[in-house]
Amino acid sequence: MNSRRASYTLGFGVALLALLAGSVLAASWLSPNDPLAMNVGARLQQPSMEHWLGTDRFGRDILTRTLHGGQTTLISCGLALLSAVLIGLLLGALAGMFHGSLFDIALMRIIDVLLAFPFMVFAMVIAALFGTSLFHLLLAVVVVWWVGFARLTRSLVLQAKNSTTVDAARVLGTSKSVILFRELLPQAFGPVLVLATFELGNLILAIAALSFLGLGSQPPSPEWGSMLADGRAHFMTSPHVLLGPALWIILTVLAFNCIGEGLRDRIDPYEKARIG
Amino acid sequence: MGRRLLITVLQMLITVFVASLVLFALIRLAPGDPAKLLIGRTMEIAWDAAAYETTLNELREEMGLNGSVFSQYVSWIGSLLQLDLGTSFYTDRSVAAEIGERLPSTLLLAGTALIIQTVIGLLVGILSAVHSGTWFDTVVRLLCVGLASVPGFVIGLVLLLVLAVQMGVYEISSQAALSRLWLPALTMGLLGAPQVVRVVRANLLSELGQVYIQSALSRGLGSTRAVWHAMRNVLLPTITLMGLSFTSYISGAVVIESVFAWPGLGEYALNGILHKDYPALQGYALVMVLSVVVIHLMVEALYVWLDPRMMRRKKEAAHE
Repeated sequence: MNSRRASYTLGFGVALLALLAGSVLAASWLSPNDPLAMNVGARLQQPSMEHWLGTDRFGRDILTRTLHGGQTTLISCGLALLSAVLIGLLLGALAGMFHGSLFDIALMRIIDVLLAFPFMVFAMVIAALFGTSLFHLLLAVVVVWWVGFARLTRSLVLQAKNSTTVDAARVLGTSKSVILFRELLPQAFGPVLVLATFELGNLILAIAALSFLGLGSQPPSPEWGSMLADGRAHFMTSPHVLLGPALWIILTVLAFNCIGEGLRDRIDPYEKARIG
Repeated sequence: MGRRLLITVLQMLITVFVASLVLFALIRLAPGDPAKLLIGRTMEIAWDAAAYETTLNELREEMGLNGSVFSQYVSWIGSLLQLDLGTSFYTDRSVAAEIGERLPSTLLLAGTALIIQTVIGLLVGILSAVHSGTWFDTVVRLLCVGLASVPGFVIGLVLLLVLAVQMGVYEISSQAALSRLWLPALTMGLLGAPQVVRVVRANLLSELGQVYIQSALSRGLGSTRAVWHAMRNVLLPTITLMGLSFTSYISGAVVIESVFAWPGLGEYALNGILHKDYPALQGYALVMVLSVVVIHLMVEALYVWLDPRMMRRKKEAAHE
């Protein structure tokens, strides 16, 4: 019964994500409007047949901007997380492989220091020093976010190292790098994938929050974060201005959370019992 | 036991030391000369080149910017130890004093949110573990996944719109009054509750399946008492989570503080970014790092006190 629920969750997440990604990728085909075209006569209009989610303070169609903005947001967040995952996998695998070495100890110390910097604080310092832009936020993401993946990979590699297969490979004289890539890393792949799915959702939420504070991408380019920051001043009088980006963010994160839940139940039922 | 705690303290001191190095380096990397930035705000005499040069040099001397990087770091640490975080570029006041004024309201908000989160999380978590597999459990599960997908500021803004603008039961101002505490605290507490629910539910479920509970039940122990016994063992992971939540509340409060115009540290940091006020930001980041480390230490100490076995287990884990 449990695995059936897991497949439903996974299926729902994948379907939702496909729908969202499709809507974002086909933005210019789905919507006849121009995301940058201003129409001062039609500013802050309520949702109507012509503008499904209304218009913003420059009279731009919010649905069109949401769909177009999704391209920037999703691709940049995905790329940032991918870099963090790759860095984490590499460093974590090396630390696990050479457990107890100087490299391992140094890496653990660096991780301790980075863990003491909450991501929000780090991102704010970066934004203050180098200016507010989406790129700088994503840079902060990569600098901080690999830590979780490195720790997970390291512990998984340490576990896998003690298995009979690895012992056998070592006895057969297999080189260290082959053991790493053929035996150890594949075992880390599943759990890292699960973590990455959840973290992508968290990352989108964090970037949205920072953008909402005005530290993300700057107008007029359509991007979910900058739309949030832009619409904020008008939210109390025309709440529909935030509906588009907020809805797409919520649904995207929901999709990733469902995929994560489903994958976790499927890949690692034991881990699930422990962490929940 | 005491030795283990001592090692933890030492590790944390190293962490703080390296973190201070990182912060120092980051601020040094910042584009622009701090003395010039300070001058630009306090006196507009830039057209008198000679006077400007002298003032700049005096100021650089005063700020300790003329020495080597190493001596600058040492003097910076020296003043930090005297709780001197420098002077704000923007307000020209002591950063330590300004942070001291705002820290209580952030701590108050984070603390109240933590209590709300824990109460909701424990109640709902226990109920859904006891009634696992029922419709209640399913609804809670769905709610948790859903709530974890919503940005905090969206919930905050919607609550503000409904309760303050439409119903008028919440006062919009920028004061840190007790009467204004409940809504931001409730928002943060609601956002954090799903995590507690998950941890409590999962741990309680696995604990209830243990032999000691089963045998107690078979000897006629009431199920409420059984849950009470099992909860003792669920407390430890819950406390870990509370520590993590508290640190993320103190730093993450910036969003909720901004939505509800709560004059805490987050708002201070945002102003600091707006005005490129590096000393203010540096002070803010340092206080954040210190609070993370201190909370971590407190959780660790609490662990030793609650469960002496922990130390042995940790040692084994460290040698793994």
